[in-house]
Amino acid sequence: MASVEITGLRKLYGTVVALSDITLTIPSGSFYTLLGPSGCGKTTLLRTIAGFHMQNSGQIRVDGNPIEALPAYRRNVGMVFQDYAIFPHLSVRDNVAFGLKQRKVASAQITKRVADVLEVVQLGAYADRMPHELSGGQQQRVGLARAIVIEPKVLLMDEPLSNLDARLRVDLRAELRRIQNELGITTIYVTHDQEEALAMSDTVCVMYGGVIQQAASPLDIYLRPENRFVATFVGANNFLGVAQDGDRLTLKTGADLTGAIKGERPATITCAIRPEALRVATGPVADHQIRVPATLREVSFIGREMEVFGTTQAGEDLKCIARPDPAVIELQPGSPIEFLADRADLLFFEDSVTGARLT
Amino acid sequence: MKAAAARLRPDFWTGVTILVLAVLALLLIVPILRVLSLSFVDADTGAFTVGNYVEVFTRNYYLKGLKNTLFVGLMGTLGACLLGVPLAFFTARFHIRGRALISTLAILVLVAPPFIGAYAWIMMLGSNGFITNFFASLGISTPTIYGAHGIILVFTLKFFPFVFLMTQTALNSVNKSFEDAAENLGCTPWQRFFKVTMPLVFPAISTGAIICFVLSIADFGTPAILGRGFRTLSTIAYASYRSELGGLPTMAVTVSIIMMAISMIALVIQRRILARRRYASSLTNLPVKAKLGGARNLLMHVFCHGVVLLAMFPNLVVVYTSFLKTKGPVFVGGYGLESYGRILHDAPEAIRNSFLFSLAAVVLISAFSALISYVIVRRETAASGAIDFLMMMPYLVPGVVMAIGFVTTFRSGSFDLMSTAALLIMIYFIRRLPYGVRSTTSNLRQVKPSMEEAAINLGAPPLVAFLKVTVPLILPGLIVGSLMSFITAINELSSTLIIYDSGTITMPVKIYLAVLDGEFGLAAALSTVLLLCTGICVYTVFRFAENRDSAFL
Repeated sequence: MASVEITGLRKLYGTVVALSDITLTIPSGSFYTLLGPSGCGKTTLLRTIAGFHMQNSGQIRVDGNPIEALPAYRRNVGMVFQDYAIFPHLSVRDNVAFGLKQRKVASAQITKRVADVLEVVQLGAYADRMPHELSGGQQQRVGLARAIVIEPKVLLMDEPLSNLDARLRVDLRAELRRIQNELGITTIYVTHDQEEALAMSDTVCVMYGGVIQQAASPLDIYLRPENRFVATFVGANNFLGVAQDGDRLTLKTGADLTGAIKGERPATITCAIRPEALRVATGPVADHQIRVPATLREVSFIGREMEVFGTTQAGEDLKCIARPDPAVIELQPGSPIEFLADRADLLFFEDSVTGARLT
Repeated sequence: MKAAAARLRPDFWTGVTILVLAVLALLLIVPILRVLSLSFVDADTGAFTVGNYVEVFTRNYYLKGLKNTLFVGLMGTLGACLLGVPLAFFTARFHIRGRALISTLAILVLVAPPFIGAYAWIMMLGSNGFITNFFASLGISTPTIYGAHGIILVFTLKFFPFVFLMTQTALNSVNKSFEDAAENLGCTPWQRFFKVTMPLVFPAISTGAIICFVLSIADFGTPAILGRGFRTLSTIAYASYRSELGGLPTMAVTVSIIMMAISMIALVIQRRILARRRYASSLTNLPVKAKLGGARNLLMHVFCHGVVLLAMFPNLVVVYTSFLKTKGPVFVGGYGLESYGRILHDAPEAIRNSFLFSLAAVVLISAFSALISYVIVRRETAASGAIDFLMMMPYLVPGVVMAIGFVTTFRSGSFDLMSTAALLIMIYFIRRLPYGVRSTTSNLRQVKPSMEEAAINLGAPPLVAFLKVTVPLILPGLIVGSLMSFITAINELSSTLIIYDSGTITMPVKIYLAVLDGEFGLAAALSTVLLLCTGICVYTVFRFAENRDSAFL
């Protein structure tokens, strides 16, 4: 429907920087997710786009038209709220019709469009209900219907599923994506749930400290995190210290990594290994693999898989997720254990919170 | 992540904030500053002086009044606590039959016109009261109701509901685990009460007590009717104002400032004490009510019902009296409706004025309450903080003081609003506005800001979002607040007494004058009309308020 371009957006609360030079482009019709821990600025960014916060500087363009100076009620961006924000004194029908009435749409038109959109969100039979007669999931469908019926250029969603229970969340997730696809509406979605972000989005934008850390496809975010923060926040990761001696690189626990980093090397380097990339070694190690000796701390068997926790000689905690193996599950805590990983699965970062990935 | 919607852009609400500040400046700040500045003026020369204060603090007439005020204020507050705290404890911790009746009666006592109690006691225990006469016929002389002890009695019975209702609410929200823990650590029930329960509800008790004290200091009707030579600052201020008519009311305003200062000092002291006692507690373990048996149970019931009935008694006496057969000011035995005939004949304008002025004030109060509560709750600016603070002022400014401030402000040269309906409506508006704002504000705090944001997001400008979404959602609070403002406006005596003239006389003033003239039948009939209105409003509040008791505090 419409592309969104944000350039140099800054927002300060007193001296606290909430958004620091946010620049991003969202292609028309795509599903763009802002992901990050609480306080990272994702909600502030969304609310600034909606016009509920005033930026200190920067531009927001929808289809090339600047909207950052418009008052919130003239921006024509639909919003779905975390707490639904369904007007409790109005019926489902009147809630959905609110924005159309505000736009002075003819009443026959309103009747038709409200009925149509209620069918889309599968609430056709509930038009005359009052909000307190609806479940949380149904209320959020009303919230969605109310936001899309005005045919906004952009749809904003602020953690719309976070107040729902786990199963409903997964169901509604698929439905949200289906509706978004059908309408082809450009959507900006805020969540702190990485699974939600990866499952739904065309692009995931990871934020931290008011700064965009990485904006990429879900697969790239997971497999090729651009910095250590993204690697930590999206999915679990083990971080192992890397020792440098001239050109020679080794894990602090011994494995030789010389040649793994081609470019310039910072003073401190850490090596990231996903828990599912680790296995418990049972035989000799091949050339394309590395070995990490450790002491077993705990094995917890959770059915489909087992989680093996170890501590390396350098004192680093390790977590490995693998198919259950009776021989491992029966090991006593304190036993020596060896993990191994493919060299291809290793990622290297400068060792700081947002340290860049090294290649 | 839920940051306040702090916008740089001026919008509709910026305009509202400016309007509200302007109205508060005109009707609240200017009159108070006028009173303050006049207190430093020499009445004869018009020069700056502190002589007025010197006079108050050296002349026996004023010093005695100051002492009297503090004495009846403190003793009345003490009495209110002595009745209110046990009553709260019994009803909150034990099974008391008729608990709802006790609360309802306490609320009726709370909202009934304050001066009715005073003159009902005169009808009972005055020099020609029926109880006095009854005992005199037996040859027993009863103590007179006039003077300090009569005033203290009336204050005690009039103001204990504040302590009772606040303490009861607090007791009901004390986590029972605290009391269980005390018992588990070896406290006897008495020790547990004094060492754990009392300290936990102390903030509520002290808040109730401070309201009693401030209202006692400000009360005009009771000492005016029962004083008989026992003067308090409010009656002195009124008398000074009357005697200074024509000149500058410098002594009246000086006494007024001292009354205000006492209220504020009391509030500051209470805040200081409370500042170190903030107990956050989650209510996971609800208090339970114990069942007592035997004599203790009986005594407790007698106490609880006795207190509220005794406090309600004056009102019942007034209603009863209104149906006695009269001839002129004399009761001639038997029952009749002559008193009601007389109010229709003698005081139709008082009834009309009372309703007209109160309703006009309440219409303004409703509109401003809705706007002000939005500014206070939704806009976190320095201006909204200032408005929030200013909303406390009318509670602390006695009616006599406010009226003198109004008179000195809105009366200059050709611009003279003295005794006009407009002036009375304005003073009712500003004095009762906080009731509306408080109730509406607490309602609005429960409405999520996302409601208005959703409306705005859907294309509604701020005013439309406010009218279509916010107002319907705060309607219950708005109705309760308006009713509370109405009750207190229609029962207003002290400031009206200073401002009114024969054309703008109201029911409370007519009652006051009738009592002074010994026209008890007429006063009783008018009082009954007031009580009836009050009762209807209370019933309506019950229907709309979420929490019946706290709506009245």
